[in-house]
Amino acid sequence: MTLASRGRAVTLVALLLLVGVYVRALAFTPLERFQGAAQKIFYLHVPAAWSAMLAMALVGLASVLYLLVKDPRYDRFAAASAEVGTAFCVVMLTTGPLWARPVWGTWWAWDARLTLTLFLFFLYIGYLLLRQAVPDPGVRARYSAVLGICGTVLLPFIHLSVYLFRTLHPQPIVLKPSAPSLPGVMLVTLLYSFGVFTLLYIGFVMQRYAVGEEGSHV
Amino acid sequence: MSEVIPQNAGYMVAAYIVTAIIVLAYAASLYRRTRGR
Repeated sequence: MTLASRGRAVTLVALLLLVGVYVRALAFTPLERFQGAAQKIFYLHVPAAWSAMLAMALVGLASVLYLLVKDPRYDRFAAASAEVGTAFCVVMLTTGPLWARPVWGTWWAWDARLTLTLFLFFLYIGYLLLRQAVPDPGVRARYSAVLGICGTVLLPFIHLSVYLFRTLHPQPIVLKPSAPSLPGVMLVTLLYSFGVFTLLYIGFVMQRYAVGEEGSHV
Repeated sequence: MSEVIPQNAGYMVAAYIVTAIIVLAYAASLYRRTRGR
C-alpha cells in the first residue's frame, strides 16, 4: 500500500467523521442564547484555525531540520504542510467573517488578531509562490526553509495578540492556562472537531507528500 | 420577560456550506493528483 493510497484512506475516514461533526454541531449541540445559530460556526472556525497554525508550526520545524541535516524529505514535508495549511487558512478566513457579521456587526476589523491572521495567509501564499519561482531544488529548499521559520515565529504573536492588544476577537477558551470556559456538551463537540480536522490535516499531508515525492524523482 | 435568541442561521448555513466546498475541493484536487499512485 503506497503512501498516497494510505493518505486517501485516512482522508476518507476524516471526511466521514467530518459529517459527524456537522450532525453533532447542528443537531445535538445547543444554541448559544446571545449569539444564536451563528455561534455554531465556532465548531468549524476554531479547528480550522488550529489546523492552519499546526501546519505552519510543522513547516517551521521541518524547515529547521532541513537546514540542520539537509535531508530533502524535510523540505518535501514542509511544502506539503504549507499547501494543506493554506487550505485550512482559507476555511478560517471565510468562516471568520461569516461569524463576525451577525455578532460584531462587521465582516472584518483591522485589529491585531485578524490582521496577523491575514498576514499568516499571505505568508503561506508567499511560501508557495517562492517554491514555484526558484527552479534549483537546493536553493528553493533553503529559501523556503527561511521563510517557513519566519512564518512559525508569527504564531505566538497571533495566539497572544488577544491579550496584548485591544481586539474584537474573543480570548482563547480552550488553549489557555485555566480550565476551558465552555459547557461540557459544547466542549465535546469542539474537541471532536479538533480531532477530525487534525486527522484531515494528516490525510491531506500524506497525499500531498506523495505528490512531492513523485515530483522529486522526475 | 423571555429572551430573544438572534435569528442568524443563514450565516451558519453559509459557513458550513463554504467549509464543505473548500475541504471537498481540496480533497478532490489531491485525489486527482495522486490517482494511479
